Amino acid sequence: MAIDPSMEPMLEVFIYESTSLLEQLDEILLEAEKSKSFSDDNINEIFRTMHTIKGSSAMMEFTGISTLAHAVEDVFFILREDSSRLGSVGEQLFDLVFQASDFLKTEIESVQNSGEANKDPSAMIAELKHLASIMRGEAPAAAAPDAAPADAGSQPPPSGDPDMVRIRVFFEDGCQMENIRAFMLISQLKELCDKLESIPANPESDSTCCSEIIKNGLLLDLKPSGSLDDVIHSIENAVNIKTYEIVEDAAAPSAKAAEASAPAAGGEPAAAKPAAAPASPAASTPAAAAAGKVKQSLVSVNQAKLDQLMDLVGEIVTSESMVVGNPELRGLKLDNFHKSARELRKLTDELQDVVMSIRMVPLSGVFQRMNRIVRDMCKKLDKDVDLVTEGGDTEVDKTINEAIGDPFMHMIRNSMDHGIELPEVRLQKGKPAKGRVTLAAKNIGGEIVITISDDGQGLDTAVLMKKARENGLLTKPESEYTDKEIFGFIMLPGFSTNKEVTEFSGRGVGMDVVRQNLEKVGGTLSIDSKRGEGTTFIIKIPLTLAIVDGMELAVGNSVFTLPITSIKQSFKLSDGGQLVTDTDGSEMIMLRGQCYPLIRLHQIFGIDTQVTDLADGIIMQIENSEKVACIFADELLGEQQVVVKPFPKFLAKYEIKQMGLSGCTILGDGSISLILDANNLLSSYR
Amino acid sequence: MSIDTKNVAEDALADLRGRYLTFFIDNTCYGIELLYISEIIGIQPITHIPGLPAYFKGIINLRGKVAPIIDVRLKLGQEERAYDDKTCIIMVNISDMQVGLIVDMVADVVSMDDALRNPPPDSGARTGDRYLSSIANVAGKVVLNIDCEKFFQSDLRPY
Repeated sequence: MAIDPSMEPMLEVFIYESTSLLEQLDEILLEAEKSKSFSDDNINEIFRTMHTIKGSSAMMEFTGISTLAHAVEDVFFILREDSSRLGSVGEQLFDLVFQASDFLKTEIESVQNSGEANKDPSAMIAELKHLASIMRGEAPAAAAPDAAPADAGSQPPPSGDPDMVRIRVFFEDGCQMENIRAFMLISQLKELCDKLESIPANPESDSTCCSEIIKNGLLLDLKPSGSLDDVIHSIENAVNIKTYEIVEDAAAPSAKAAEASAPAAGGEPAAAKPAAAPASPAASTPAAAAAGKVKQSLVSVNQAKLDQLMDLVGEIVTSESMVVGNPELRGLKLDNFHKSARELRKLTDELQDVVMSIRMVPLSGVFQRMNRIVRDMCKKLDKDVDLVTEGGDTEVDKTINEAIGDPFMHMIRNSMDHGIELPEVRLQKGKPAKGRVTLAAKNIGGEIVITISDDGQGLDTAVLMKKARENGLLTKPESEYTDKEIFGFIMLPGFSTNKEVTEFSGRGVGMDVVRQNLEKVGGTLSIDSKRGEGTTFIIKIPLTLAIVDGMELAVGNSVFTLPITSIKQSFKLSDGGQLVTDTDGSEMIMLRGQCYPLIRLHQIFGIDTQVTDLADGIIMQIENSEKVACIFADELLGEQQVVVKPFPKFLAKYEIKQMGLSGCTILGDGSISLILDANNLLSSYR
Repeated sequence: MSIDTKNVAEDALADLRGRYLTFFIDNTCYGIELLYISEIIGIQPITHIPGLPAYFKGIINLRGKVAPIIDVRLKLGQEERAYDDKTCIIMVNISDMQVGLIVDMVADVVSMDDALRNPPPDSGARTGDRYLSSIANVAGKVVLNIDCEKFFQSDLRPY
């Protein structure tokens, strides 16, 4: 089924909306499953979610999606009537609804990729129906709302009431606001009728039913209090009415009428209409209208545009530096120019902050998905595991947020499958039967540090070593390998310790892919493990797209950028301070009674420079949360805002970051400056 | 329409196949398959990065993108020499990454069909030889064709 090009923008909205709804659904289900019951709010929320999906997918003509959503809706319809019925099905319901949610997700994904959704949900629907019939009691009596499929055909005017008349009204083409006009008409007619129902119901509260009214007309089921002619007369006199017809044979209305039927069924006494299903796809119901009301004033933007905006801001910052720091201006007295330049700088700063904040999203979404994975795996593996998440409100760039979803999933699966033992085994080992996987995120000094730890069995270095030996991965004598290096083996392609390939892991591609995905966004992965106590994966992701304020330092012919946030102070040796050499020959600076280690940039980076005497150069005192040190450079060139670029991927093999360089940046004159990383400098050169 | 574009792309690829860019290191002529090459630029300021093997000269700013640069002489285990106005940087695409190769002089683009190219002799030890995919004789000139995959293998994964 190809998508009509004119539907394209709607398709995007459909995908976006459905995806976020399904995510919400998962959240609610998980919560409900934990407490083993649904609150009224939850039931209503799920009902609304399914209803919206049903409606919009039917509008987009994805019948598979809409019928499945409909079946789920039916189940929750029963629950809404009487939530105690959950008891009769319990867990089964959760499983099935989760399955349905997954099915919908994959379908929507396939819509996104190929514009088609062709999978057949009938098996799942059958199960849902079965479930619904159990919930209704063994014999689904006429008193219970029937969960018959949407195409149950017509909705006859309630039988047994021969006075009921069905009238179909069409409004003039292009008269607009059909829903409001329908409402006006209905209120006019109400005075003349004993009973009046309209399809769609409550048109005034939902503008989306306009198209429905245009297409199928407004259906009115009414019982005139006087003569029918009065009613007809009133319709004739109403404004903007194009045509009307009295639908004589209510038993065989057109297919269109069936499609538009019965939104009101949910609110009607079910006993009156055993055959009426809460069906209508595109038509709206009160529930859908309510969902519409809570819409926030959000705009969804194509990410490519955001990327472009970010790049542009980066360029603006660079060219601003180029203008303000232009060598041709040197020596000129330009008071006004500098005043304006400062103003410009302030604005670009603000612009930058706004753009950055647009791109930032909290990690909680990714964390939420992990909850789901843990839940599913617990069931399948017969393990009992709690997922504890911390720092879900930590914000990261959107691209990073997307890139880390898969790696997280792999790592959590690994932890669950290989790490956490079966409950019996855990009890034997004196651990609580319930395992625990902790997912924690923190923002530390411009880096996001995420740890995924489990309290499982830990990595067995002996097994890893053996496996590495078998695969011929060893490059030096076994005794020389540190634990950390041995743990590193699991990140090599094709390395798996699981003897059997399971559904979840064991093919040995996982950790390799994890590492690669993380490296794509400039992240690093390290592993820490203690036999018997658990394994911790530590992920560090730099804020790659950041723009930082930096001090330009010259060393020989090279220019380095030191982020201002890590600078404590800068001084010349002559200003006070004293060089001290300890017994190992390492240099230290004594400053106001405190000793700080000295790092000579030209020495550690092997750069030729004339300035080797401390008195000639400049000393910058740098700090992180733990340590303070002094670095020595030739000259301070000035302050500049720079756009951080990661080092080329090609160099990923070489651990440049360990050298104390976090990235590079292009300066106003087109030359490249390397950005110093205070954290690594402080930890690697003591 | 998509079939057409696919054909065009395939034709373009087929056009490049079998054609080599030749360049000189001293008096030896080397070739690189044109398929890998994105452009040739003049020598420009290179920012040195500490902690890399010596043949990595550093990184350059290529129109806002940062690309690493390798000196082919050093990679092939030969003496470094000062750059002159004939020195060029050949930008190569490998595994979706860009790398620049510094060579003494770029010579020509030549077509070589399979008949012209012979597998390199198995001489073993010398650095440089293990990077070759074939040796060709084009119009009396010997061209040593470099296999890009092999050439960069030690810099790419797996470790």
